[in-house]
Amino acid sequence: MSEVRALIVDDSSVMRKIVERSLRQAGLEALVVYEAGSGNEGLDLLKTQPVDLILSDINMPAMDGLEFVRQVKEQNLAPGVPVVMITTESSMESVQQAIQAGAKSYIRKPFTVEQVKERVMPLLNAA
Amino acid sequence: MECSLRESMHLVSEPRNLDASVEEVFRLMLGVNCQRSTGPEEIAEPESVTAVVGFGGLLSGACVFRSGASTAIKIAAHMTGMEFEAVDDTVKDGIGEICNMLAGAWKSKVPDLSANCDLSIPAVITGRDYKIHVQAPEFKLHHIFKFDGASFEVTIVCDGLQ
Repeated sequence: MSEVRALIVDDSSVMRKIVERSLRQAGLEALVVYEAGSGNEGLDLLKTQPVDLILSDINMPAMDGLEFVRQVKEQNLAPGVPVVMITTESSMESVQQAIQAGAKSYIRKPFTVEQVKERVMPLLNAA
Repeated sequence: MECSLRESMHLVSEPRNLDASVEEVFRLMLGVNCQRSTGPEEIAEPESVTAVVGFGGLLSGACVFRSGASTAIKIAAHMTGMEFEAVDDTVKDGIGEICNMLAGAWKSKVPDLSANCDLSIPAVITGRDYKIHVQAPEFKLHHIFKFDGASFEVTIVCDGLQ
């Protein structure tokens, strides 16, 4: 697979590192990662940097992940780029909210590399 | 029909759900096996790290994770693959995330709870020689766990259940 540019949005720097490591272990060896510690930071980054994949936490201060995804769609900042929510929320309502906001898939924390592979790789292959 | 957790109280307060949640989070995110300790142990180190995630909705309360400083460093090292000499911002961040995942995993064990209870953002407290007190909870689960010679405490406290 050619180079993949991924934006990881999470207020936890530890989680951003874990997500990056999981993506590489899932097979994305040519991975370029852009990090954002908040939804606003993510939106600002997308205004100047094209990416191929967006992964976002939901439970963040100031702007939660659902609002971040809605803004990405409303502002047309990443047309056609798949968004994957990575979060502790597991209820069907949360999943539905994420899909309605514009996410393509959903990974619950804690997660395995296999789960990352199953949820992310098909989205990149389809893009 | 409005949802009530009162009829699911036995499920919500089931101690094995907490044990399963801790085992799952530590196995998947740290790659370690941890087991519940049955001894009357307390955190021996004077300096400790505590993370709190609040529950709101049909259940109000908190998930509290507490460990000594060296255990917190060990946990963060397992999570990140990095080495730490002290409890810095990254270690505190890691402990906050562990508590966040524990709260989410525990909440997911009961479907009605999962759908009707939200989590707060973690708060992390560091310091020496302090104890945590909770007044008159509906129920409280307080378990001590061990892995690789280190121990930590996880407490689920419920102060309101609808």
